[in-house]
Amino acid sequence: MRALRSEWLKLVSVRTTWILLGAMLLIEAAYAIGVPAAQKIEDLRTNDVENLFIGTPLSTIFVFIVGALLATNEYRHRTADSTFVVTPRRERIVFAKLAVGLMAGLACALLFIAINAGFALSILSHRSVKVDADTALNIYLGMGVSLVLTCVLGVAFGALIRNQAVTIVLGLTLFFILRELLTSILGDDIGAYLPGPSLLALQGPIGEDDLLSQVGGGLVFAGYCVVIAIAAVVATRQREIT
Amino acid sequence: MAEICVERLTKRYREAVAVDDLSFKVDGGRVTGFLGPNGAGKSTTLRALLGLIRPTSGRALVLDRPFAKLRDPARTVGAALDASDVHPGRSGRSHLRTLSAAAGIPTSRVDEVLALVELTPARNRLVKGYSMGMRQRLALAGALLGDPRILMLDEPANGLDPQGMRWLRDILRSLAAEGRTVFISSHVLSEVEQTVDEVVVISAGRLVTQGPLADLIAEQRPVFVRTPRPEEFKAVLEIDGASVSTDGRDEVLLVHGLTLEHIGTRAAEHGIVVFELTRTASTLEERFLELTGEGGNVR
Repeated sequence: MRALRSEWLKLVSVRTTWILLGAMLLIEAAYAIGVPAAQKIEDLRTNDVENLFIGTPLSTIFVFIVGALLATNEYRHRTADSTFVVTPRRERIVFAKLAVGLMAGLACALLFIAINAGFALSILSHRSVKVDADTALNIYLGMGVSLVLTCVLGVAFGALIRNQAVTIVLGLTLFFILRELLTSILGDDIGAYLPGPSLLALQGPIGEDDLLSQVGGGLVFAGYCVVIAIAAVVATRQREIT
Repeated sequence: MAEICVERLTKRYREAVAVDDLSFKVDGGRVTGFLGPNGAGKSTTLRALLGLIRPTSGRALVLDRPFAKLRDPARTVGAALDASDVHPGRSGRSHLRTLSAAAGIPTSRVDEVLALVELTPARNRLVKGYSMGMRQRLALAGALLGDPRILMLDEPANGLDPQGMRWLRDILRSLAAEGRTVFISSHVLSEVEQTVDEVVVISAGRLVTQGPLADLIAEQRPVFVRTPRPEEFKAVLEIDGASVSTDGRDEVLLVHGLTLEHIGTRAAEHGIVVFELTRTASTLEERFLELTGEGGNVR
């Protein structure tokens, strides 16, 4: 609990966290208002599910960075010295950071969903576009879980890599940007199990046939988080703080 | 039981040997200076003691245990390794709160140590606006959070102005007077000279000497002799077993191995006029340079 409280304080006591959260919510609000308001009624009626998905990819990037910063700030600003002197059992620190990443991801997810649902659903309803309640629930659930897991992934990947710039650039490239390229190289069967496509599957049905089911995508993506988190714990225990 | 015990500690980084078969002990209730040129292995030794790096061989123990095995490390050892090791976007108080929370120390103690290091007026300012001296004070506040029995400080005087140096000296002396062990590495020798009781001197990762500061400075101090007949008197003293050198001036002899009384008596016996006869007061810096020479770099 001590390490958890300390890591939470580290997260909330730097301005960057609030800037990233604010930027994410502002962009999401702009999407959630702009897209359903600006699109033609016919387009909205044929693509109503996708209209709920707006903004999510960008938000996952923001929460990934929040998680990555929580882990890599220790090395970027060399606070790992005092952190590991006060708490020599380093695995406790990594577990605490992962838990804080989960909590931060959950907070981001709830705010994201509140803004998305508040604006997008209201505008769609106002424009008489019907959205199936079960589909909307599935999508919001998937979006929420994806944001939570992505924040945890950011923490785990950052704790494993240490270097802040490399964590963010490599992480975003591997998990978000190279999705199509990797899938085209490896083929759809294998490609569906990559982090990017599995995350996309988790976020909900958006008309892509080559993805896993939502639950399947969630499990695979959670698996990546667990594997990378274990690697981060092992690496943190072993590494020398010089 | 020694408070700090380093036993045959060796740390290699690939081909470079940072610490080489180093052994020493530090007892409690005094200020011990850990001295050596840059690259001598001081920081590496401190990091090994704090469990941040693993020794290649040997042991670095605190209260006879590896640091990670201490029951309550934050209340046993307070450490400040580098004053820059703070997130610049946090306030000084927030920084200390993250440490106190991790150690289970109440927030009221944060305000106490901030007052102790005289940072209360700047407690809510972001650390990026702190001067180096303020960062040093913040680092010391962090080390004092757990009211620890042992303090390990790496170059705590760096960046301090003369008033800050005096303040640091006073606070370290008062902490030692309370029975704590204060172990400070430094190359600001003039400051250390006025602060420490004992010294551990290392060079190129190896122990050069350890002991009370007074003994170290007094050890082998030559006697300064000024006479108009240096060659003649030198011959007399060398017959008595002295080692005699000069400092470049015509009339000056530096005599090792004889007492003041012996030299004065021999001068009188031989009718040699002596203008000046005194024990030289070597400084820690002179002894440090004598002991460590130029071989301070990591091999």
